[in-house]
Amino acid sequence: MALLDLFLVVGIIAGVYSLLAIGMNMHWGDTGLLNFAHAAFFAVGAYTSAILTTPTPEAGLLAERTVGFDLPVVVGIVAGTVLAAVLGFVIATTSVRLEGDYLAMVTLSSAELVRLVIHNEAWLTTGAQTLKNIPRPMESTVATLPVSYDVFYFLLVWALVGATYLLFERMSNGPFGRVLHAIRENDDVALALGKDVTQFKLKSFAIGAGVAGLAGTLWAHYVYAISPVMFLPSITFLIWAAVIIGGAGSYAGAIVGAVVIVFLRQVTRFIPGSVPFSDQMSYLRLMLVGVVLVAVLYYRPEGLLGNAERLQAGTSEGE
Amino acid sequence: MVLDPQFIWNGIVVGSIISVSALGLTLIFGILNFINIAYGDYMATGAYLAFALNAQIGLPLGVAIVAGVAGMAAGAVLIDKLVFEHFRTSSPVTLLIVSIGVAFFIRNLIRAIWGPTGNFYDVPIEANPNLFGVRYSVEQLSIIVASLLLLTAVYVLLRRTRIGIAMRAASDDRTLTRIRGVDTERLVLYVWIAGGAIAGLGGIMLGLDAQIRPNMGFTALIPIFAATILGGIGDPKGAVAGGFAIGILQEVSVVVVPSEYKFAVALAALIVGLLLRPDGLFGEATR
Repeated sequence: MALLDLFLVVGIIAGVYSLLAIGMNMHWGDTGLLNFAHAAFFAVGAYTSAILTTPTPEAGLLAERTVGFDLPVVVGIVAGTVLAAVLGFVIATTSVRLEGDYLAMVTLSSAELVRLVIHNEAWLTTGAQTLKNIPRPMESTVATLPVSYDVFYFLLVWALVGATYLLFERMSNGPFGRVLHAIRENDDVALALGKDVTQFKLKSFAIGAGVAGLAGTLWAHYVYAISPVMFLPSITFLIWAAVIIGGAGSYAGAIVGAVVIVFLRQVTRFIPGSVPFSDQMSYLRLMLVGVVLVAVLYYRPEGLLGNAERLQAGTSEGE
Repeated sequence: MVLDPQFIWNGIVVGSIISVSALGLTLIFGILNFINIAYGDYMATGAYLAFALNAQIGLPLGVAIVAGVAGMAAGAVLIDKLVFEHFRTSSPVTLLIVSIGVAFFIRNLIRAIWGPTGNFYDVPIEANPNLFGVRYSVEQLSIIVASLLLLTAVYVLLRRTRIGIAMRAASDDRTLTRIRGVDTERLVLYVWIAGGAIAGLGGIMLGLDAQIRPNMGFTALIPIFAATILGGIGDPKGAVAGGFAIGILQEVSVVVVPSEYKFAVALAALIVGLLLRPDGLFGEATR
């Protein structure tokens, strides 16, 4: 039984990461944009939903936050998704015309700026302290059911992953996605065909950021308490690793990559008893992520589920 | 409003660190043509090597610094042989992502060996002397002197030696340089030695000025990126100018901007710089 509980926890985390990877795959896999601001979209989704759904804290010694709305969780989830998309749009407006690695550096810096704001504006976000007591959706209803809450949440998260997957797969294969692919291969060609390349890049950025925001709201409502250190740039890098390992350009690959990454990070939880170097284990796992990422790029550059044709497109970018 | 000279002094100290670090990053970029995300972790490795020799083994700080710098130069070559060499023909984006993998590895190796908490070099703690109303520390003074020495040395290397001239040529056009008979693979070796050593020194400076932490280099990356881009990627002179500009701007901005947000100034400078001078301050970006 305990093993099943553990599986559910890891599965929920994997679902949240899958959503993040789906958003990233729209940016990099479909459009060829080097987005390094994913942690910021994740954070904005989480904080927006948390602030909207918690009541205004009572004034006390440690209560620095003066804002809270106590709205239903659904409102928080929708608002978090939308606000992350808006942030994606804003960040993209400043930088989407930049070429490859310039875009990477500007988005990375922008994401750090967002984290800085969350860290410093304590009246809104409780600052460096944890924002606690985030409500879980339908908790009282689920309590009357014979299953544990994690079963419900696991199904909820993965239902959303499934719906998002179908939606994005459809978008990617539809007219919108075809323009994005053309931009990825060569944006001058798309421009010459009369497509407003900048507009499409902005949309791609906003949509992908929105999904990352959705992932953030689901994360916040699952873990009860969030703090700025949960949204370091290493999240962005882990999601990059997931997309590359899974195979850029493939939404199924993005999900597989996210599951692989989460599994690599959580695998030692499944090993019972004491193991040598247990103190260093979390670091060793992240070292392993680095090794796997480099090994995949060397032995299977197109990723587990990517196709080699997409890879050709990737290499022409930035030359 | 009179500007407190203390802020300018602090800016020069921070600017020295950023300049030195940005110089190493831009040199590596010039020859290898990719942004090395692991560069910040090279800096941290240099800082920790010196820390191990100085505070843990007890060597004098000067010796530990030289050894740390040399160690990181060797480390950069080793990482190239183990990883980057196998991706020589890959696209810049692939290399950037490879360097993310390398960064994960190094940073967590540091955490596994030295733990996640902060450390300090074994330097005597004294009251900071005061000169014309500016408080300064011996460490800050040595940071500035060391950075000036290094910048001069690199200038001489790039302008006066055959290796340096070949490096500049390869940075401009690698294929053409090879056609002219330069062994570019050897140049890559030299550039890792130089870039690794500079990263190590930058990290040690950062550790002297503040604290030695596993993610110290990574968190310093953003102003370093900003300086590199502002100066024009691949342009050493620009990187140094950009480094000092951003360092001084950041510290002086405290007068008008809340100090928690001084880092935002680097970002603003970066974005404005990209919009106004996309080829860098001197218009000599190699890309």
